[in-house]
Amino acid sequence: MHDPSHEPDPDCLELFKKLSAYIDGESDPGTCEKIETHAARCIKCSICLETLKQTVAFCKSLPDEPVPDDFSKRLGTVFAHLIKSRSG
Amino acid sequence: MDFKASNKRWRQDPGRQKRMRPKKEKKEDMDPDAPLIEAINGGGMDLFPELVRRYEQKLYNFGFRMCNNAQDAEDLVQETFMNIFKSLNNFRFESKFTNWMYKIAARVCLKKRRKKTVADEQNLSLEDLAARFRNQAPEETPKWARQPIDRVLDSELAEIIKRTVALLPPRYRVVLVLRDMEELTTQETAQVLGISTANVKVRLHRARLLLRDKLQGYMAHA
Repeated sequence: MHDPSHEPDPDCLELFKKLSAYIDGESDPGTCEKIETHAARCIKCSICLETLKQTVAFCKSLPDEPVPDDFSKRLGTVFAHLIKSRSG
Repeated sequence: MDFKASNKRWRQDPGRQKRMRPKKEKKEDMDPDAPLIEAINGGGMDLFPELVRRYEQKLYNFGFRMCNNAQDAEDLVQETFMNIFKSLNNFRFESKFTNWMYKIAARVCLKKRRKKTVADEQNLSLEDLAARFRNQAPEETPKWARQPIDRVLDSELAEIIKRTVALLPPRYRVVLVLRDMEELTTQETAQVLGISTANVKVRLHRARLLLRDKLQGYMAHA
């Protein structure tokens, strides 16, 4: 990805495929070293890695969606009826 | 900036390693729900609402993140608990209860009407995605990717993320939601969806790339 007017460097493509595994800590030390060395000299791959890391961090940091109170109550009522009818 | 040293520091950060490490399971806490389920199956059906209370928040989150719609999320929670109610006595602890629960929820969700998806992106190869990134990449790491999460992730961005995730093709979306939002491991996700761990990794990578591209487009115009 050194020159946007040319096809990507094969190293870029190879490492591009492995970025998620790297972010998840599922890459072997040799691959980690390769990714870090390559990203240090290839600005596009470095940007790709940083933006992907941040995307994952966003997903992991989304707040819970609060369960609406009235839904919780309705759910309780539905199962109270079901339990009653099963035991009766 | 020394990117190599910075990435190495990030990778070796003990806090991050602790978060990424697969949870060790001791025999006695392999399934914290076992006592409750055994009690319900042993005749204590009136304890079933306790199981509902324990997991309604998790299932609601899962449903909302899959559909980005409160009504659909409620339907998913109710239908999933209904299925659990009917078949809990057949549950044999061959997996953790929560994995079994997510398996039912994912099946319910994927059966529901298909939402509009990013259809023409479903078949993009990684080569296509790499080329697209190369052509659209900014000249330097954008500000949104350099700042601490709590400074960037406001309610507006959270909405954008949820909306974008809900538009991903379902087979990618479900993996992203389980792995990056519900924080299941790769193995657990594979078990829930009945696919290989290699397939989970491929789908997850593609889902993240699609989401990242959409966010980049949004952030560039924000």
